[in-house]
Amino acid sequence: MTALEITGLQKNYVDAYSGEEVTAIGDVSFSVNEGEFVSVLGPSGCGKTTVLNIVAGFVNLTEGEVVVDGRAVSGPGPDRGVVFQSHALFPWKTVLGNVVFGLRMKGVPRAERDAKGKEFLELVGLGGFGHKYPHELSGGMQQRLGVARVLANEPAVMLMDEPFASIDAQTRRKLQEDLTRIFEKRHPTVFFVTHDVDEAVFLSDRIVVLSKRPSRVREIVTVDLPRPREWRTALETPEFREIANRVNELLVDDEGAAAGADEDPGGATDADGTAVAGV
Amino acid sequence: MASDTAEPVRRTPAGRTPRKSGASPGVVRARKVWLWLTRRAAFRNLGPFVPVIALWWLVAEMGVFDEAFFVGPPRVVEEFGDLMEKGILPGYLTDSLTRLAYGVGFGLAIGLPMGFVVAMFAKVRRFFWPILLFFQAVADIAWLPIVIVWFGFSLTAVTFVIVYTIVFPLMLSVVAGVEQVPRELLRAARSLGAGRTRVFFEVILPGALPSVAGGVRTGLGYGWRALVAAEIIVGTSGVGFMMFDARRVGDISQVFLGMAVLGILWYALDAMVLAPFERATVERWGMVRSLEADG
Ligand SMILES: Nc1ncnc2c1ncn2[C@@H]1O[C@H](COP(=O)(O)OP(=O)(O)OP(=O)(O)O)[C@@H](O)[C@H]1O
Ligand SMILES: [Mg+2]
Repeated sequence: MTALEITGLQKNYVDAYSGEEVTAIGDVSFSVNEGEFVSVLGPSGCGKTTVLNIVAGFVNLTEGEVVVDGRAVSGPGPDRGVVFQSHALFPWKTVLGNVVFGLRMKGVPRAERDAKGKEFLELVGLGGFGHKYPHELSGGMQQRLGVARVLANEPAVMLMDEPFASIDAQTRRKLQEDLTRIFEKRHPTVFFVTHDVDEAVFLSDRIVVLSKRPSRVREIVTVDLPRPREWRTALETPEFREIANRVNELLVDDEGAAAGADEDPGGATDADGTAVAGV
Repeated sequence: MASDTAEPVRRTPAGRTPRKSGASPGVVRARKVWLWLTRRAAFRNLGPFVPVIALWWLVAEMGVFDEAFFVGPPRVVEEFGDLMEKGILPGYLTDSLTRLAYGVGFGLAIGLPMGFVVAMFAKVRRFFWPILLFFQAVADIAWLPIVIVWFGFSLTAVTFVIVYTIVFPLMLSVVAGVEQVPRELLRAARSLGAGRTRVFFEVILPGALPSVAGGVRTGLGYGWRALVAAEIIVGTSGVGFMMFDARRVGDISQVFLGMAVLGILWYALDAMVLAPFERATVERWGMVRSLEADG
């Protein structure tokens, strides 16, 4: 069963000052199956966030189609829960108030939603913090809450845009392991944007590698490492390193090409030319 | 954070002298008394006034100024007792506070909804923004002459001026507050299933609160000043009238008393209504830094 299907996606941005049109996403197609963990990797500025924002319904697409659970996406909706890099928790709601927000919007009765909210707080290791306010939690705990808030709402897809990027390396490892554990336990469908190759390999079933702007799908790498996964063992498996190296090569290839284009003035004109062609 | 101040007093373990090397027992006791004092709310709220009053008293006692122009605290306290007894001060205070209540009540009732309408609808905003800036620039007191022509020396005239002073800064702060709500929070709410109305009540309203609370505070402060000015000009009763009238008959102590009363009332309003409200909301939520926070 396909949970998310992206077909021929293209996105042009119009610069607010110069009025110039820039093609951020050239032509991107891929799909995410139900209960699958798919990461999107690519050079900085290639449009990963843009793809996620289009799926979330925050940004309109220029061409193509995005279908979630059989319905074409238009505007944000509870079938696509988003975990933000900035956490985006409601400061005026308690931890429990944040978790049950989606259920409350659905009109789930109080007793039921509180019970479910507590269950999901337990799941992410925040049991007993329900009465606290978000600013009283550490960054790592805040992001766990961000995950719980989405999962409690049971969306068709959970969208995550570099959710652990602002968290220190040690805590990040722990959060990644916890996310894997939660994924292995409940099998939500996850669309994960990152620029950390190891993170992508560790978490994903498949990795979509995008080319530099205007982006296309360069390759989709299948990660057939056994689950449950743990950092300690993952780093020791040769398969893990093999896949990470493959993905790295795909990225370095592209970064090299991009850097070359940036240094060469002709390359810049070239990019502009592509942008105009994309109109 | 507010609750930090409620932490229990750290006690010196029994049997150990809390004496630092070189400090005499007297100094230690003084330090202890000071620590104890700074934890009392009354001291924290009133303590800073002690030196001010002492200085005032000193200047008055030294006779730097003629007594006809400058009176000390005892004269003012005496005047206070006198006016309270005669029932003049309670009457004037009631008048002033009634006017303020009307002005503030209507001001909030008009300013808050209008502020949110202007903030939420881009078209309304484009239309009203220049008007808003124009009328904000016309000082409140500048309206008094025409207001007196329209409404006479009445409660309506004073209320009009107070409402006028409150509404514009309030509207501007509401607009600023709505703009301050992080886009990510709006997006989060939308992808958790909130419709536009829910987003307004669940996210925009509380998200704008720090700025709106600031606007209410500023608005009330302006309204308070406008009230005194209006009473001086419209002049039939009230604390402002009392001060101006006292000056006319040369009773300086009533002018001093009026000033003290105005300051105390404002301070009480702040300490009893505004500050606790902010402590229970925006400070509790970590949206603004508390004045009393440790870090
Ligand atoms: N609102 C916008 N208006 C104009 N251009 C934009 C806008 N948002 C993004 N872009 C452009 O689109 C391209 C893709 O941006 P996007 O943020 O999606 O990249 P990204 O892959 O997420 O980058 P990063 O890895 O740095 O997060 C960039 O070149 C960016 O300059
Ligand atoms: Mg990004």
